[in-house]
Amino acid sequence: MTHEHIALLLDETRLTLEELASSCAVSHEWVIEHVQAGVLTIELVGDPRTWQFTSRDLLRTRKMIDIERRFDANPELAGLVADLSDELDRLRVRMRRAGLPLD
Amino acid sequence: MEFKDYYQMLGVPRDAGADDIKKAFRKLARKYHPDVSKEPDAEARMKDVNEAFAVLGDAEKRAAYDQLGQRYQAGQDFRPPPDWDAGFEFSGPGFSNGDAADFSDFFSELFGGRFGPGGARRAGTAHDGVHGGFHMRGEDHHAKVMLDLEDAYHGATRTIMLRMPRLDASGRTMLQEHTLDVNIPKGVYEGQMIRLAGRGSPGVGQGQPGDLYLEVHFKPHARYRVEGRDVYAALPVAPWEAAHGAAVQAHVPDGTIEVRIPEGSQTGRKLRLKGRGIPAASSGGTAGNLYLVIEVVLPRANTPKARELYETMARELHFDPRSGA
Repeated sequence: MTHEHIALLLDETRLTLEELASSCAVSHEWVIEHVQAGVLTIELVGDPRTWQFTSRDLLRTRKMIDIERRFDANPELAGLVADLSDELDRLRVRMRRAGLPLD
Repeated sequence: MEFKDYYQMLGVPRDAGADDIKKAFRKLARKYHPDVSKEPDAEARMKDVNEAFAVLGDAEKRAAYDQLGQRYQAGQDFRPPPDWDAGFEFSGPGFSNGDAADFSDFFSELFGGRFGPGGARRAGTAHDGVHGGFHMRGEDHHAKVMLDLEDAYHGATRTIMLRMPRLDASGRTMLQEHTLDVNIPKGVYEGQMIRLAGRGSPGVGQGQPGDLYLEVHFKPHARYRVEGRDVYAALPVAPWEAAHGAAVQAHVPDGTIEVRIPEGSQTGRKLRLKGRGIPAASSGGTAGNLYLVIEVVLPRANTPKARELYETMARELHFDPRSGA
């Protein structure tokens, strides 16, 4: 027996700092430090309690956590790897658009 | 259930030091990372590597596993003996419930009761929590959901299979498979997260359950390519339709529409159908566009009449496609 569950679309509603931290199992301080260091690529200033996060921010945060934990990477290095990974995704999209094989 | 040889999975000897295990894990994590790996089974191998490191990278779990592993080989039929872990204290798993949901039944059988809501690490923690007045919100979970592009136009109900930690009667946390019917609203796009409140791990004590986040991906489509909310499709047209202009029927994700091909169109020309891409999720949002990319298709010269028509064109048009004119 299953019940139907209504899904809320992120971006229509956004995540607070607390929700983002809880969702990624990190502390508020971890998120604030990474935002302020510019490695989450989120342009946010002012009181962190007013910050709001999108789907893209959530995915980026999870990617950063994964890289930092898996390779004991510092935030700057993890940020660089995440940037390169994003660039790789963009190039793959352009290759697909141009009808070029990925290999 | 088959016994898993975690040493073999990481490619290290049984007497490998902690540093060697970490080094082997990182090497394989790089090799099978989904962003860079060209191995066809990279995702499955990455899960294996994560699982092996969750055990061998933790001194307490490794010691318990080693005691058990002396009697088994990889692939051998396996049932954990009663009290196989007697005398061992597991204090920290180094992985989250979300990670553990990806791990094998073998792992779940051995260590399934050793993790708990909110990352509670000690066996019995959740049970103690209920009686000790301790409350904690359950952990959030993340999963991917594959949709058809058409689902983004109309909305859909999808049944999703998940392995989630659940408390049993004695307060132990075990991985349990269950299905969830999710009503996905129209307007979702690739990479968007959808949130199901209260569908994550159960809370401890009177703590609220966590949430479930689903990352939206579209199944590859033979006809359409998606970028954000914009949708691209090829529109094959005959040479005379491209030359003279024509009104043609085109398949689009939400049906069939009539499109006007402008006179003198060439292959590659994009026709933009404003607002016919992925619809907005809410009334104030903006719908994407649908781009039809014209593809002039030549008729085959496989009949005398067709050959004659091509010969007439060759003779009378003086057309050189390489002249750049």
